[in-house]
Amino acid sequence: MDIAEIIERGLRKAEALGASEAEIFIAREVSTSITGTVKGLENIESGESIATSLRIAIGKKISIQTCILSRAEDIDKVVEDAVKITRVAPEDRDWVSLPRSLGKTPLYYIVDDRIKKHNLDMFIDFVKRGLEKSREIDGRAYTSEAKVQLSYIVKAIGNSSYSPVESEKTVFSYIVEVKAVENDEESGYYNYYAAPTLNEFNLDKVVEDAVKIAVKSLRAKPVETGNYQVLFTPRVFASILSALIVPAVRADMVIKNRSPLKNKLYSEVLSEKLTIIDDGAAPNMLNSSEFDDEGIATMRKTVFDRGTLVTYLYDTYTANIDGKSSTGNARRTSSLVYPDATNIIVLPGTESVDSIERDVKKGIVIYNTIGEWLSNPVNGYLNATITNGIYIENGEEKQAVKGIVISGNIYEILGRNLATISKEYEHIGSMLAPSILVEKISVAGK
Amino acid sequence: MWGNMSISIDLGREVVDKAMEKGAREVVVRLQERLYELVMFDSGMLRSYNISRGSGIGIKVVVDGSIGYSYTSSLDRDSISIAIDRAILAAKSLNRYGVSRKLYEYRGVKGGYRVIAKVNPLDDVEPERKIDLVKKLNIESIKRSGIVSAVTRYGCEIDRRVIVSSYGSEIDIEVIAVGVSHMAVAKSGEVMERVQEQKSFIGGFEYIDYFDWIKFAEEIDNMAIKASEAKTPSPGIYTAVIDNMLIGLLLHEAFGHAAEGDGVVAEASILRGRVNERVANDLVTIVDEGVVEGGYPVPYDDEGVEKSKTIVVDNGILKHFLNSRYTAVELRQNPTGNARAQDVTFDAIVRQTNFYMLPRDASIDELFENVSNGVYLLGRGAMGGQVDPSVGTFTFSVGPSYIVRGGEVSELVRGTIVSGNILEVLKDVELVAKDVKIYTSVFGGCGKGGQMVRVGMGGPHIKVKRIIVGGV
Repeated sequence: MDIAEIIERGLRKAEALGASEAEIFIAREVSTSITGTVKGLENIESGESIATSLRIAIGKKISIQTCILSRAEDIDKVVEDAVKITRVAPEDRDWVSLPRSLGKTPLYYIVDDRIKKHNLDMFIDFVKRGLEKSREIDGRAYTSEAKVQLSYIVKAIGNSSYSPVESEKTVFSYIVEVKAVENDEESGYYNYYAAPTLNEFNLDKVVEDAVKIAVKSLRAKPVETGNYQVLFTPRVFASILSALIVPAVRADMVIKNRSPLKNKLYSEVLSEKLTIIDDGAAPNMLNSSEFDDEGIATMRKTVFDRGTLVTYLYDTYTANIDGKSSTGNARRTSSLVYPDATNIIVLPGTESVDSIERDVKKGIVIYNTIGEWLSNPVNGYLNATITNGIYIENGEEKQAVKGIVISGNIYEILGRNLATISKEYEHIGSMLAPSILVEKISVAGK
Repeated sequence: MWGNMSISIDLGREVVDKAMEKGAREVVVRLQERLYELVMFDSGMLRSYNISRGSGIGIKVVVDGSIGYSYTSSLDRDSISIAIDRAILAAKSLNRYGVSRKLYEYRGVKGGYRVIAKVNPLDDVEPERKIDLVKKLNIESIKRSGIVSAVTRYGCEIDRRVIVSSYGSEIDIEVIAVGVSHMAVAKSGEVMERVQEQKSFIGGFEYIDYFDWIKFAEEIDNMAIKASEAKTPSPGIYTAVIDNMLIGLLLHEAFGHAAEGDGVVAEASILRGRVNERVANDLVTIVDEGVVEGGYPVPYDDEGVEKSKTIVVDNGILKHFLNSRYTAVELRQNPTGNARAQDVTFDAIVRQTNFYMLPRDASIDELFENVSNGVYLLGRGAMGGQVDPSVGTFTFSVGPSYIVRGGEVSELVRGTIVSGNILEVLKDVELVAKDVKIYTSVFGGCGKGGQMVRVGMGGPHIKVKRIIVGGV
């Protein structure tokens, strides 16, 4: 099935049925997963699917539909359903139009032929090495699961006023879960790499880091309740940004009064040490793409410039409401099109992590948390449970900690309480982030 | 080679033959066609009206003892041919690394199952009628004093599955399910309380037409309003009467998952090695049954194995695990028809179907007699919980419930959390009532390994000697 042809067919059908505007997005994905556990290599599953999402407008009535396509003619039925539903939908007074102009941004490191060709033996070997390596590094550690996932994705989008644009990308992800056991104590940590290409993939390092932290986490226990300095490692900092800052800069959230950053444009809302960029076209980053989910060319934009909020993230619909242009941040889910972050890049600082750690008087280094997604982006309140962390006193690592809860207002944490940003940074899927030291965070422990 | 490319037993047979020709020793082909319709109103506004369709084919092959799985959503001859090649390649790759699995030798069955809809929810009912129903319920709800927001949904699923295997299974199933769900948030002072409930039927739109949805939504609203005005219970140990819905949820989460054969094989279940041991009071009999009134019909599993009634616990004694053909071999039991997949993009894994407790003789009134310090725990509005099937511990946030004093149901309490160990709770069962109710949902189901499948759960009212309330 030629997906651009299916799009043209669907658009003609929509027009014939009386739609005033139509937009069709199709993604064809070929994927393989290889899983290994303590029992060794377990299974290989692969497959191919073609998914479509369409948006139909009749005047100011809108509807969005999704479907899996099995044959080219399936698009006709989806369009018929969509037009039928659009006719009975209520009017959306804010609706202006679909994007008037589609485009592409040239990208580097977006397709890796080794992934595209699904050369199984090389990837099976990755899983096997992941399973074996932990024990070689440290006798107390073993890999409980290693998994490779490969995808090759071709996507295209077109609408009533613009011919389809098409692009391809590959995605590779590798995850290892490591357990450490000593006497009656058990601990665990997982580590991963996810990107369009294998360019920055270093299997040994992914496993070594997982083993290092799993072993370090042995004999973890809670610390006393109180205020602590906290050193967020890049991965934890990234997950907190995703949970609390990204939703707050989405224009749809701002428009619906669900963001504490409403009316804060051009104000200093974070520490001036922080510059945060959203870049949909960054090389070898997970969410990079030549165009967003409504066909707008992706771009790089500074969102917080030395702490000052300079833009929200827009798709066409929200940009029209605010009298702006789309920032190339449209994302589609089953029944919605909304603006969302692409790849988040936090500019690094100048100090090394080692020297930051040496200056910690009474603090906790956090390697992993759970439940940070339970934080509330509407008021900016952080809530996360530490599963892997180390308590530090006067620059010295004292004990492993877990099961304690950190909380506080994210705008204070990343505002006046932010002390230092490290010069080292890590690439974690769609995030590029340094470590940060925060002066005072409330910790609920014993 | 290919005949008609629509979902049928014939297409399944052709694909099985083709895969055998290409070197597979055993083949299971799954064809699926699924439609899901969802109408959602949020605080008076239509938030979503989505009809999602999808079909595809999944192919599992065994080559020299190794298993490969592949799928495609494209039903054309080239795509299917590529999928067969990929499955065989996966099996051969695993074989080169010496990975093999023994599967139970099952003699396949031929069978069909079709839910008859008197009123086809899609073809016979205009979108306006569905919008009008959901809108009316939603708007009535937010107009009610004390309610601050409400989400109301209509859902319909038509799921057709065809399973053909080289060992003789030829299965054709079509299940139609419809339902309405309503969530109301009430506010009283600073307290916000949320109650959500859904009611689903296996059948056509006639069930939507007959049911009193106005009363259904009103009861949920009133429960939310009363709960927002209620106190939380004082923590402690209580005698508990547990209603049909909550016992279903507790059994499914805290016991059913532990009875799944794959968890037992992986040494992650508290029930491992305990067959023929006592795990509950002798009043307790628990079954997993494929087709049962009120539940979600699973007459055959996704390996084409017949799903009969599996007696998991018989008068308190653990008898059988839930098995796929693989776990049956590993655990030296019979396959029970519990290998299920969300859709063709996944290979089947061990899942529950309709997991419930059988009734006994007690009347519901008897359960409350002589309860001096008790709690009547209800499932409606339960927010879910966390379980660890390897040790049997659970923590559940249950729905608005009642304190029981002097054998009488008294005041409502909100925010009730119960915790304990499922085996201790099942040993502490004192009475089992004669009422049994089983529920299913077209809006959700059970999640495991990234796959969601529809299930049924329930049981009778039961009385338990002691349960921990409020996480003491």
